[in-house]
Amino acid sequence: MKKLPVISLLIALVAIAIAGNARTFTADIPAPPAIGATIVDFTLPDVDGKDHSLNSLKGKNGTVLIFVAVQCPISNAYNERMEKLGQDYKARGISVVGINANSTEATAAVKAHAAEKHLTFPILKDNGNKIADALGATRTPEAYFLDANNKLIYHGRIDNSRDPSRVVSSELRDALEATLSGKPVAKTTADAFGCSIKRAE
Amino acid sequence: MTYAKAKLARFLVLGVVACVSSFLLTFAAAAQSPTTRTARARTARTPRVNHAVKSGARARAINAEEMQALLKRDGNHPLLVNYWATWCDPCRDEFPDLVKIDKQYRAKGLDFIAITLDDLADINTAVPKFLREMKATMPVYLLNVADPEPAINSVDREWSGALPATFLYNNKGEVVYKHFGRIKVDELRAAVEKLVGSEEQKAVGRRQ
Repeated sequence: MKKLPVISLLIALVAIAIAGNARTFTADIPAPPAIGATIVDFTLPDVDGKDHSLNSLKGKNGTVLIFVAVQCPISNAYNERMEKLGQDYKARGISVVGINANSTEATAAVKAHAAEKHLTFPILKDNGNKIADALGATRTPEAYFLDANNKLIYHGRIDNSRDPSRVVSSELRDALEATLSGKPVAKTTADAFGCSIKRAE
Repeated sequence: MTYAKAKLARFLVLGVVACVSSFLLTFAAAAQSPTTRTARARTARTPRVNHAVKSGARARAINAEEMQALLKRDGNHPLLVNYWATWCDPCRDEFPDLVKIDKQYRAKGLDFIAITLDDLADINTAVPKFLREMKATMPVYLLNVADPEPAINSVDREWSGALPATFLYNNKGEVVYKHFGRIKVDELRAAVEKLVGSEEQKAVGRRQ
């Protein structure tokens, strides 16, 4: 096969040409898992320091994980909507779990904030943002809906607007409703503006 | 010709085509750049008219299409874009550094716009108050959209909408640097230097 060196040379030249056009980007946050991926069980402490695993908190029909914040005005704009989501779906077998991954917000502050805002769903503290990294979470609020087998069904915003009077599409609730009625989810991801998760340095 | 040989021949032809076209592209870009630089130097001497907003004072409300138009490059200047909001603490923290970068590099040919995601209700209150405090000198726009999803995706598929976010485009409109979260000022400065650091650009800067 004396043609092999020629092919190798061509491949090398093409590779060089491609590399020459490559540009450098900052990419320190891992990409989120793909829709359909199974989320590996994890354990995090709640605001009282008690450990909970995902599997111990999940509902029989699934779990909604929402990255939340104490100080982010956008996350705070969703407090009532998140609480109502928890109340509405508790009886239907889907649990809502908050995760605070901000290194700037101590457990005591998370606990006081939850009490003040009447958030009754469990909030876990992701010290060192390990779970935020595993889920590729970047923003508050940012929601993940996992089905009964911890398979990722929906990832993204709660709805289209932080202002409740401007909400026209509720992607998270739509995903829950579709799953509960055994239908495929129409929109599996959707973005919105929010606060950056303050990762540990 | 056997099947294996035919396959090999096809592969070789494809390889040659890929190789030649990538080299042609590279040479075309290289051949094009002196004229681009001349054009850049020419326009840099005349006052720039593409700033619809008087720098720093107030923000102008824009929709998603208007934002897209702002991000388009005419081949003359690189563009730095910062997405922020008055409610975003890291955005407020990094703003003085961005004002410095604007002051330092605008004369060297860098365009810089700041796009706020504040509520329209704050356009005459919290937004100009903050900009005055910061002594902001760059044009500022307020993106006013009911559904943020298409706007976020049109900027960058990797961006979740977390603020702040900063993008640097070369004069062809290609993203050459981006950062999500509070900027690392040395890293951003180095990326800007690469774009405005050519001898021609420095000469333009000295003449101004």
